[in-house]
Amino acid sequence: MPAIILDSEKIKDSVRRIMDLGGTGVLKCVQCGACSAVCPGVKAGFPVLCRMLIKKLLEGQFEELVEETSTWGCQACNRCTEVCPQGVRPQEVVFAYRRYQASELAFSSSATTSQMNLYGTGHAVFTEAGPLREKVGLPAKAPTSAYDEKAQKEIQTLLDDSPMGELGLF
Amino acid sequence: MAKVGVYVCHCGSNIAGVIDVEAVRTFAETLPDVAVARKELFMCSDSGQEMIKQDIRDGLVDKVVVAACTPRTHEPIFRGALSAGGLNKYLFEMANIRDQDSWVHAQNPEGATQKAKRLVASAVGKAAKLRPLEDKYVDVTKAALVIGGGVAGIFSALELAKMGFTTYLVEKEPSIGGVMAMLDKTFPTNDCSACILTPVMVEAGNHPNLELLTYSEVEDVDGYIGNFNVKVRRKQAYVDWAKCTGCGACAEKCPSKVPDEFNMGLSNRRAAYIHFPQAVPKKAVVDMAHCKSCGGRAIGTEPKISEKTGKPILAPCEKACPADAINRTLKWDPAGEIKEIKVGTIVVATGFQVMDKGWFKEMAPDNKNVITALQMERLISATGPTGGKLLRPSDNQKPHTLTFVSCVGSRDEKHHTYCSRVCCMYMIKQARLIKEKYPDLNIYMHFIDVRSPGKDYDEYYTGARRMGINILRGKVGGLEVLPGDNLRVLAYDLDAGSPVEYESDLVILATAMELPPATKKLAQTLGLQFCGSGFFKELHPKLGPVETATEGIFLAGCCQGPKDIPDTVSQAKGAAAAAAVPLCQGRVKIEPTISEVQTEKCSGCGICVPLCPYNAISLKLHAEKPRATIDITQCKGCGVCTAACPSAAIVLHGYEEGQIFAQIAALTA
Ligand SMILES: Cc1cc2nc3c(=O)[nH]c(=O)nc-3n(C[C@H](O)[C@H](O)[C@H](O)COP(=O)(O)OP(=O)(O)OC[C@H]3O[C@@H](n4cnc5c(N)ncnc54)[C@H](O)[C@@H]3O)c2cc1C
Ligand code: SF4
Ligand code: SF4
Ligand code: SF4
Ligand code: SF4
Repeated sequence: MPAIILDSEKIKDSVRRIMDLGGTGVLKCVQCGACSAVCPGVKAGFPVLCRMLIKKLLEGQFEELVEETSTWGCQACNRCTEVCPQGVRPQEVVFAYRRYQASELAFSSSATTSQMNLYGTGHAVFTEAGPLREKVGLPAKAPTSAYDEKAQKEIQTLLDDSPMGELGLF
Repeated sequence: MAKVGVYVCHCGSNIAGVIDVEAVRTFAETLPDVAVARKELFMCSDSGQEMIKQDIRDGLVDKVVVAACTPRTHEPIFRGALSAGGLNKYLFEMANIRDQDSWVHAQNPEGATQKAKRLVASAVGKAAKLRPLEDKYVDVTKAALVIGGGVAGIFSALELAKMGFTTYLVEKEPSIGGVMAMLDKTFPTNDCSACILTPVMVEAGNHPNLELLTYSEVEDVDGYIGNFNVKVRRKQAYVDWAKCTGCGACAEKCPSKVPDEFNMGLSNRRAAYIHFPQAVPKKAVVDMAHCKSCGGRAIGTEPKISEKTGKPILAPCEKACPADAINRTLKWDPAGEIKEIKVGTIVVATGFQVMDKGWFKEMAPDNKNVITALQMERLISATGPTGGKLLRPSDNQKPHTLTFVSCVGSRDEKHHTYCSRVCCMYMIKQARLIKEKYPDLNIYMHFIDVRSPGKDYDEYYTGARRMGINILRGKVGGLEVLPGDNLRVLAYDLDAGSPVEYESDLVILATAMELPPATKKLAQTLGLQFCGSGFFKELHPKLGPVETATEGIFLAGCCQGPKDIPDTVSQAKGAAAAAAVPLCQGRVKIEPTISEVQTEKCSGCGICVPLCPYNAISLKLHAEKPRATIDITQCKGCGVCTAACPSAAIVLHGYEEGQIFAQIAALTA
């Protein structure tokens, strides 16, 4: 494994960029690991989440991590925020870093599919449940954006006008 | 005309690095009343002081201004130089051109130099008008009070008693001993806590100069250093301690059951009880809040007479007592009796409490097998609820896997940001003691980082690793309750960079040390201040570690901040030494920079009386008219009365009207 070259300018830059993107608590971290002890993403095998992501950012590894897929393992469950003794709010750091990755189009494929679904149907995850619904006596089409063109248009306009739209994904 | 000498200090580069000292000196020479102006690298050094003394001896100066660091630390030094030179020491004024100038305006040397000139001009203006003042003295009551009978209080009180002073030791519990009496063994030597503490407790109990006032609390304190009047409230024990032999027969017969505080709620005690086996004094109390008044023997009544036997019907405790010490006919009196004592100095040693586990929802606090470290001390103590056998509380079975969790409530923004300082060491202690006794046990300890900086402490920690105790770096994130009373530990191994999970059948939480909320009332009574961590604040963190902002009141032990027994005892002896100084001197100095009423000008309006924050002013008859009078022992020289008096009848010595106006004139010129 190549050694990480510590460079104070790079570290400062990394901290400033993550803070600008919303990871404002990053400097409060004392690297105790409580967040990672309870993180379902870490347990599922994404090693560079919460504590380890913060550690690497604090070592100036901002751009180097751009292809890291661990961040996309975050379930936004916020258990890390609950247990962190220093008020770091690690989930915010993770999401801040994701914003950077998104701006570089370094999405995990799992993330792109759900973004596309959201754009198309208004649901990140959508399964056709028509026959099942009919079986229990419900109308086949649920009253959701999936069957409502007007609602879909609204959602698409919102997404087009958002920073997501600027990425040119849709 | 006054002959003012001005001495400008470089303070190394502290001042001279920012301020143009020579410019300030030449400016001072131009001021009216200034006879000489000199500068020096360190005015507080011998050569600096000698400079002042020589100018006085030569008759060059009769008032002195030093422009330097701060009067807080240095005023006494320069006043001393004036005295040594043969001048009244109150003819001195200090211009603070370091703390209030070079340090805060480091980015603006020119502005700072201008400000220094102004400050010097103002000090010279005042100095020229200063008048000599004389110190006053009052006699001291040669007795001391120590509040809190933990190891800190015991040592402070014993030291003072051994020096020959009458000493009162007030403890709210029936016995002295505090938390140390609850500990099993003590790091880093593993000697039995009771074995080393009991002889000292007994010595305290028997010392002719030491009066133990246990089961008592300080109700009120007034007065000042040298002369405090203290009211101590002794709770009613319903047992005549003069008769009680401490046999424990009453407790055996008492049917009431209450969680035992001494065993941290792991077992029950009775309503009639003795605090713990080695208690000093070893006397019983009847805790009325939990007394069932068995046999219809309500408190404060005469016993009913049995129709059958014609004899009085007694409660079980009364009946059991061979010494006839229990007195249930005493009136129910929650206030107890008040004892008034007079002392010269006070040492506060009220200690700490550990946080309740209930605060930590993520740590399964309702599970019986999650206990605090203080409960663990009782669980492994020979005098504890299991007689020293390690049995887990849920089913009294021997556990196989033990987990220690550090920093529960310490180093945590949600609770306390400070380190509790002893948890790492006592957890290692408990793990070692258990491993020695039961080598087959699995012990896992989780630390953010291990802190073992005391004498012989790191050897103690590395020793634990060599014994095969598993130490992991990383904070535990939570505990999950599993069927069958076991717990799943959700932890993290920082070095492996990976979460770790396992089943544990007993979990010990090192909950933070904190100031017990009940002591806040005492702080109000004594005028104590709190530090950022919520403990009592010392006068100065480095140079006044046992003093407080209230003269004559000292601190010892964990009420000042978390510490272990070696540090507690050192501080306790230090506090005793400091508290003895005024008692040895036999008198205390009253600074003359306090207010005085010029009776002939006073109209007797009384406006000043309620304004004085120290209750120092009262109206007294003077030629048959009421006139304000200030008690010199109470006045702190705050100046509120001086400013408020409509007749301008009050002078604050050292800050007279003419002196203040001269300062203002110099600052606004
Ligand atoms: C689990 C645990 C294990 C420990 N193990 C060790 C160890 O192995 N070695 C070591 O060096 N240190 C150890 N310590 C630290 C040690 O307990 C403390 O350093 C020591 O007890 C501090 O003594 P103290 O007198 O300051 O406070 P305390 O022991 O708390 O004594 C204060 C006393 O004041 C009384 N009091 C409180 N308020 C009032 C009031 N208003 N009026 C009258 N009385 C009052 C209390 O009842 C108490 O008796 C341990 C601590 C814990 C929590
Ligand atoms: S919010 Fe994300 S980073 Fe935090 S614990 Fe949940 S999955 Fe892990
Ligand atoms: S819990 Fe908080 S302080 Fe601890 S490693 Fe995670 S982010 Fe850092
Ligand atoms: S039975 Fe009497 S003598 Fe014995 S401990 Fe109780 S009160 Fe004291
Ligand atoms: S002493 Fe150790 S366990 Fe206790 S608060 Fe400090 S680091 Fe945490």
